[in-house]
Amino acid sequence: MSRLCSLAHVTVVLLALSCATTGAEGEGDRNLPTVGVGPFRKLAPDEVTGIAPFVFDDRVAIYREPAVLAEGQGATILYVVGKPNGKDVIVRTRADDGRAFYGSSSDFGKVPPIVLSADLPWEGPALAGPFALRAPDGVTLYYAAAGGIGVARSSDGITFRKELEPVLVRDPTSAWESTEVHAPTVYVLPDGRFRMFYASGSSIGEAESTDGVHFTRLGPDPVLRPALPAAPGSLLPNEKPPFDTARVGDPCASLRTTPSGRLHIRVLYTGADAAGATAIGFAARFGETGPLERQASPVYSVGAKESAPALLDIGDASYLYVQQDRRVDERLTYTAIAAAYAPGSTHLPTPVAFPDQP
Amino acid sequence: MARPSILLAAGIVLTSGTALANPPDTYGFGSRETAMGNAVSAETRGFAANYYNPAALARSRGLELSIGYFRADHSMQMNGRDNAVDPVKGINGGLVVPGRVFSIPLAFGLGLHLPDDRISRVRALRQEQPRWELYDNRNQRLFLAANLAVEPFPWLQVGAGLSFMSSTRGRLDISGAANVLLPDDSQLRHEVDADLTAVRYPQAGIRVALSDDVALAAVYRGEFQLGLDLGAHLSGDITGLTTARYDLETHSVNNFLPQQAVLGGSWKLAKNVTGTFDATWVNWAAYVPPVAQLDVALDIPPPSGGWPATISPPQAPAATRIVPLRMHDRVIPHFGMEWRALATRHFDGFVRGGYEYSRTPIEPQTGLTNYVDRDRHTFSLGLGVTARGLTHVLPADLSLDLHATLSELPEDTTRKANAADFVGDYTARGRIVNLGLSLTVAFDSWGKLTGEEP
Repeated sequence: MSRLCSLAHVTVVLLALSCATTGAEGEGDRNLPTVGVGPFRKLAPDEVTGIAPFVFDDRVAIYREPAVLAEGQGATILYVVGKPNGKDVIVRTRADDGRAFYGSSSDFGKVPPIVLSADLPWEGPALAGPFALRAPDGVTLYYAAAGGIGVARSSDGITFRKELEPVLVRDPTSAWESTEVHAPTVYVLPDGRFRMFYASGSSIGEAESTDGVHFTRLGPDPVLRPALPAAPGSLLPNEKPPFDTARVGDPCASLRTTPSGRLHIRVLYTGADAAGATAIGFAARFGETGPLERQASPVYSVGAKESAPALLDIGDASYLYVQQDRRVDERLTYTAIAAAYAPGSTHLPTPVAFPDQP
Repeated sequence: MARPSILLAAGIVLTSGTALANPPDTYGFGSRETAMGNAVSAETRGFAANYYNPAALARSRGLELSIGYFRADHSMQMNGRDNAVDPVKGINGGLVVPGRVFSIPLAFGLGLHLPDDRISRVRALRQEQPRWELYDNRNQRLFLAANLAVEPFPWLQVGAGLSFMSSTRGRLDISGAANVLLPDDSQLRHEVDADLTAVRYPQAGIRVALSDDVALAAVYRGEFQLGLDLGAHLSGDITGLTTARYDLETHSVNNFLPQQAVLGGSWKLAKNVTGTFDATWVNWAAYVPPVAQLDVALDIPPPSGGWPATISPPQAPAATRIVPLRMHDRVIPHFGMEWRALATRHFDGFVRGGYEYSRTPIEPQTGLTNYVDRDRHTFSLGLGVTARGLTHVLPADLSLDLHATLSELPEDTTRKANAADFVGDYTARGRIVNLGLSLTVAFDSWGKLTGEEP
């Protein structure tokens, strides 16, 4: 009997050593690799001040076409098109958390400053499609106007000085540039050369510059065209057809080097189908030149005329800013700036207070 | 006396309901065998034979009870950052009940790995999501095996048995009325119907002692697929506006164990030194990835007057276009060594070592899927001590074995063919540290303790 007791004691001790009180939650999915461009989820109601997923809106100014720039200490600068005085201009706003932007409709009594207006002969009455680039001496702002794509520079990000002539205009001999070039986005190669993606007609082209001012096209063909429609019978049940069969535009480019050392050009864009429905797509390539490959699934699609993506890559996560319809009620719908976030499994904390300065 | 006991024990196990399986493939089973690089199909004995070679159960001459514990910690990284792959840890144990039938030695064995975090884990990830396919989920299992072995000749042992798993079938039905504006007023009924259905797979082995110094062995382990079938049916009224019907059926193979065949040998290199070798063929080419096949039907007719402008009706998710996972059969070499460094009347001391190399069976993940794996080199060390007749309280042989293994998965880079892949290029590497011990009490013969005459 005592032998059995000894055996039992040994067994009990081993069991006690080995057993935890409760099992742990399963993991194995932390720090997974990603190229940082979604898929994005729209912000939830408790993640914004105001109506989710909108972070910058005004039913009079009708903000749209955002460009984003990271600033120190986690602040985010947006340059957006608005018409606070009935004419399309570019205004600047700022948020300390990427979500509570100065001068939004919930930030009563504050008006975002106008940083750029149309005042050159080639620009016509309106500015559009800003893209902000951090430069060693400040901020470079590319924009579109009636006569092509222009550029302005600023040391403080608020007061800009324009180049007097456009940096890129439509090539009338091009077979695909059926409209004036617009929606510029610029990135800088490791050797200092500037590259610009721009939209025209229903496609996206690319140009290069050594100084960021004088651009020449990289080739006669666009780097991204609308997708071909799905072949009959090729879709699974409930599978959606390509979302960008009619038009691609509004490119937003960013550059990274992959963990394998390859140069990776990432481009978010607006895709539209034949019915006019839009979604935000992702195309990319390895290396400096060549056409862009597309991702079949959109990175953001909410059925609200979303377009004009702007990407803020903050390392482990990314913000996507787009313009999309804000439906107030049956009678009132206006365009505003919405935000989305990736990875989708992360819930953001409550937004901080609106900043005092833009 | 022995016969009814063996049959009774075997009967209890073979008719039991459900159990799950199979971390020993990766982390070993029993400290002695793990320390020898798992190269033990011809050299295993005791409870560990339930996994390594059921035939070797017949080598035991007395009742053996074993219990132990191990913990394998993973440091699996992608792009230099840890992915927090869960450790595998728990109790390893078992028993061997030997006896004789018509003067022929035979034995019944039972082997168990009982994890202490979770008995089982079900996980069906999107096929795009990177995961350590062979380490993340499929080792979070309980392992239970029951075997019978016979020794018709002193130089021959033959054994076979079953291991047990459970597949899951479940169904969720929800019906009633949902009030979107006042959720507390919703009235929903739900029914849950879940089955854990037993899945058994066979194993068999043979051991031939060519001489006192040399033995050969062959082992076969069968394949199994652990299915996961889930269904959901929702129907009812939404705030008086419209009705909704939602049917969802998913099927996935949550865990797949490929069939394996082992050829092994042991050779007494010197009086106190034994060398061992195993070659394990693993039929990875038959692998079925744990991706859920989704079949959804959604029917929400628009309310009279159409949908309000502020409401976007939900759409049914698309069926999954499953990308096949290509894997290759592999032969895994194992090498082991055991040195009896101490031999006295009451104590034997052992030093053990081993090595195994497992080349990854998964093809480079250049496309949509991200089943991450790397080659694995495993180095193992162990110590053991056996004490005989120490006290009258426990006059059996008492063995304590310790093991420590280090697995290195060297870094390699996955390069994607499509630049617009959401995951992109990544590097991956890993390290696994596995520590454990086993305690075995071995009696001389059935019902009699060491030092007592029958």
